[in-house]
Amino acid sequence: MVNLDKLRETVKEMLAKEDVKYVVGYEKGTYGFRVSPSFAFTPEDADKFIFSPLCVNNLAIYPMLEEKLPLRKDEKEDVRKIGIVVKGCDSKAAVQIIQEKGMKREHVVLIGVPCTGVIDPRKIKARFPHQGKNVDVKEENGKFIFSIDGATYDIPKEELTFDKCKHCENPTPVLYDVLLGDEILSTEKEDYEEVKAFEERSLGEKWDYWKKQFERCIRCYACRDVCPMCYCKECMVDQLSPQWVRRSTNLSENAAWNIMRAYHLAGRCIGCGECERVCPMGIPLTELNKKLQKDVKEMFSYTAGLSLDIKPLSAIFSPEDPEEFIM
Amino acid sequence: MNVNPYQPLLAAIDEIRVEVAGERPIKTLKLVLQKEDLRKRFSYLPGQCVMVSLFGVGECFFAISSSPTQKGYIEVSVMKLGKVTSALHECEPGDALGVRGPYGNSFDVDAWQGKNMVFIGGGIGQAPLRSLINYMVDNRKKYGRMDVIYGARASKDLCFKKELSELEKRDDLGVHLSIDVKEEGWDKFVGFVPDNLLQVKPSPKNTIAVTCGPQIMIKFVIQNLLKLGFTEEQIFTTLEMRMKCGIGKCGRCNIGNLYVCKDGPVFSYKQLKNIQGEM
Amino acid sequence: MTTMEKLVLPKLEIRRLINGMLAEYRVFGPIDDDGVTLFKQIKDPSELDFTFTNSTVPPKTLLFNQTETLFKFSLGRSVKIDPVDIANERTVIFGIRPCDAKSFTILDQVFKGDYEDPYYLTRRKNTVLVGLSCTQPGVNCFCTSFKDGPASAENVDVLLTDIGEKYYVEVRSDRGKHLIASMKELLRSAKAEDENNKKHVEEKAIAAITRNMNIEGMVNKLDKMFENSLWKTIAMKCLGCGVCTYLCPTCHCFDIQDETALATGARVRVWDSCMYPEYTLQASGYNPRPERVNRMRNRVYHKYNYCPKNYGVTACVGCGRCIENCPVNIDIIDVINKAGEAKI
Repeated sequence: MVNLDKLRETVKEMLAKEDVKYVVGYEKGTYGFRVSPSFAFTPEDADKFIFSPLCVNNLAIYPMLEEKLPLRKDEKEDVRKIGIVVKGCDSKAAVQIIQEKGMKREHVVLIGVPCTGVIDPRKIKARFPHQGKNVDVKEENGKFIFSIDGATYDIPKEELTFDKCKHCENPTPVLYDVLLGDEILSTEKEDYEEVKAFEERSLGEKWDYWKKQFERCIRCYACRDVCPMCYCKECMVDQLSPQWVRRSTNLSENAAWNIMRAYHLAGRCIGCGECERVCPMGIPLTELNKKLQKDVKEMFSYTAGLSLDIKPLSAIFSPEDPEEFIM
Repeated sequence: MNVNPYQPLLAAIDEIRVEVAGERPIKTLKLVLQKEDLRKRFSYLPGQCVMVSLFGVGECFFAISSSPTQKGYIEVSVMKLGKVTSALHECEPGDALGVRGPYGNSFDVDAWQGKNMVFIGGGIGQAPLRSLINYMVDNRKKYGRMDVIYGARASKDLCFKKELSELEKRDDLGVHLSIDVKEEGWDKFVGFVPDNLLQVKPSPKNTIAVTCGPQIMIKFVIQNLLKLGFTEEQIFTTLEMRMKCGIGKCGRCNIGNLYVCKDGPVFSYKQLKNIQGEM
Repeated sequence: MTTMEKLVLPKLEIRRLINGMLAEYRVFGPIDDDGVTLFKQIKDPSELDFTFTNSTVPPKTLLFNQTETLFKFSLGRSVKIDPVDIANERTVIFGIRPCDAKSFTILDQVFKGDYEDPYYLTRRKNTVLVGLSCTQPGVNCFCTSFKDGPASAENVDVLLTDIGEKYYVEVRSDRGKHLIASMKELLRSAKAEDENNKKHVEEKAIAAITRNMNIEGMVNKLDKMFENSLWKTIAMKCLGCGVCTYLCPTCHCFDIQDETALATGARVRVWDSCMYPEYTLQASGYNPRPERVNRMRNRVYHKYNYCPKNYGVTACVGCGRCIENCPVNIDIIDVINKAGEAKI
């Protein structure tokens, strides 16, 4: 559990320094089990910051959402840093972006939070579908404790956490400037059990499964917009000349979109699962990304987002690569 | 509910005239509607626009640059800029296009009868003004003094050169051309259009000023018009936005609660000052 | 409009009622698609899910299709346009909630006007709305903020309310009357007791709605706070994902694109979102709404200031979908209430 006072103190210290524009963290949501991203510009703002098992958002996306408008005549560019509260998975996103030179290491100050798993909003909503008032959650002895309207509920963790948390190999952030708490050693290993089971199915069965999923896609692009890795200035799907994917929502275009996005993330996706969390249609997008993650690991012994010293997958050329040429 | 407003009328390109060559070419396309009865029934006023379809590529919203006093055809002046306009620049006479319209409001040619007129245009912005100028010239007696102030970056960027030289020959209106930078063989005003306006110094008495062109030019033209004593109700301009439906349904061309395709593109400066929205 | 008929239907007969509809109409209703409730076409009443709160995608998708072929054409020197037949089969949307039914009256304003949209209006004309009152509103429902209610029969042709052993059936229009004409034997006139039960159920549902948006005087207030810092604060969180617009029952923005395959093609209309930067991006590269703050503010103003000015109605029905599905908890009730409290 993170000491909230320590979290807020750390943020205040960071803001006191001249070179930090703002810090992104979490604050209480407006209803039920929601938690909202929070921006602290002043020390008073930092008092809103919380950290609990409900903090699902991957905040590493916010440096990539900074809008840089053309400067006016005597305006200087604001190059101050951004502070971000990151869990293990979030820190991997930051590492991957820095590896790709999407942002500079010096631009972000990472407040690392060792995380023992966060709650899947779909699972908690299924348990308490009519919870209106905002609720707080604590973790104790492998259980999540909620107090709702005077009553206390305790539920075993495995019943509520994301599937992604069950195989988490990096509960402690891999990159941080400050660590709030003791390092947690990982006891889990990602073994891709579900992917392997799916690979056993026949081609027809696989296609029928994904056909059903892709037909539901409404091309809202929430998956793309929440993903810290999707920061292309012009997404392939928005290009008009030439137009790679039509905007019509039918199986063909939807499949093209989802598969192309998965491939654009090959070797880059760090498995935060935000895409699946935000998909309004409940498409199991992490299954697609996990398959590519597994392939990348087996073919190239490569895992994304682990260290700043490693180059991005598509930027590495090794004489031992099976292909003769760089492609 | 018989008419489908999304379905264009078929038209053919009758003639293509190159106004400006080079990097950002401008061509005027003369369009004739295929069905003869529609040709007769298609009526519009200066300032109104049409959605021109290049089937298989897309649609664009253009001001009709010809005057309704010239019957049987309409002209649109197209600058090559994006996907559809680039494809339109590849067209040849005889090619089929679609036309939807006329859309939008118009210049108030009835209310402005008896007024003096000042037209201030820049570059391709002259297109809607051309419709208005030619309309008023064809109805010359109904309007007072007329001054055409028009400029472009260089002399090769001036549109409608032939027509303008015809207008220059007339003695019942003033034509004041300009280019931004000095050029060999150019003996008229050198400088930006807003500065030319100050030079021409039209009187605001009983006068309507209409200006179209790049946003930055309009900003300074309006500033200077106000300096010259024009009121907000005497100044008009046309706005443009990215458009898709042209009929106020797709939502994208709004400035505040007004749609440029429906409540515009002609706006008075007084209106613009009071809208809260992004232009 | 006929005077409202008040009838009751024994719960057990609901199957027969729906089968009666299926005999003459296409019927769309709420189905559970792997945990996500959607309005889909049904062939049998057993496919329906009566336990839903509301669908994820609103039923606007049935009248204002996400992908709509406007017309087809054949390319070449001379182009030929092939108009499409707009589906004019008689249709029933069964189980629509009062808020979504209200959204159609708002969309009507957009698609009518000087230029009538034949695609939406043909379907609207041929669609009968059989509403289902909400007996257990969702946590983010706030239809009551707009003088509407979870058991309001205002905008439907027939309204069913679950009053225990029976459904209380209100028939509000000729279309509704015609729909149930062949099934009259299943229904009988409502008694005073039934009417009281309905009122009781309605009051209970209204009391269950705890969230409220203070819409009073909002148009004028928004006029005065266009440059307020509130918009920037909210927009900082926004990812620009567009989920709010796609799931909103009153959002109607669309894109039109030409799709070709060799010598033939079609002009297609698809949903679009004002939250995407490309929405207003001009060919010159200029964008009047370049930042998320512009787009966020435009969205809020469109719903709570521009639509009231243009059509006399707030373009929000209080369904709560945007609140439920926003990845970063941008809560429109919170936003508007904060706007109401903002110092100007």
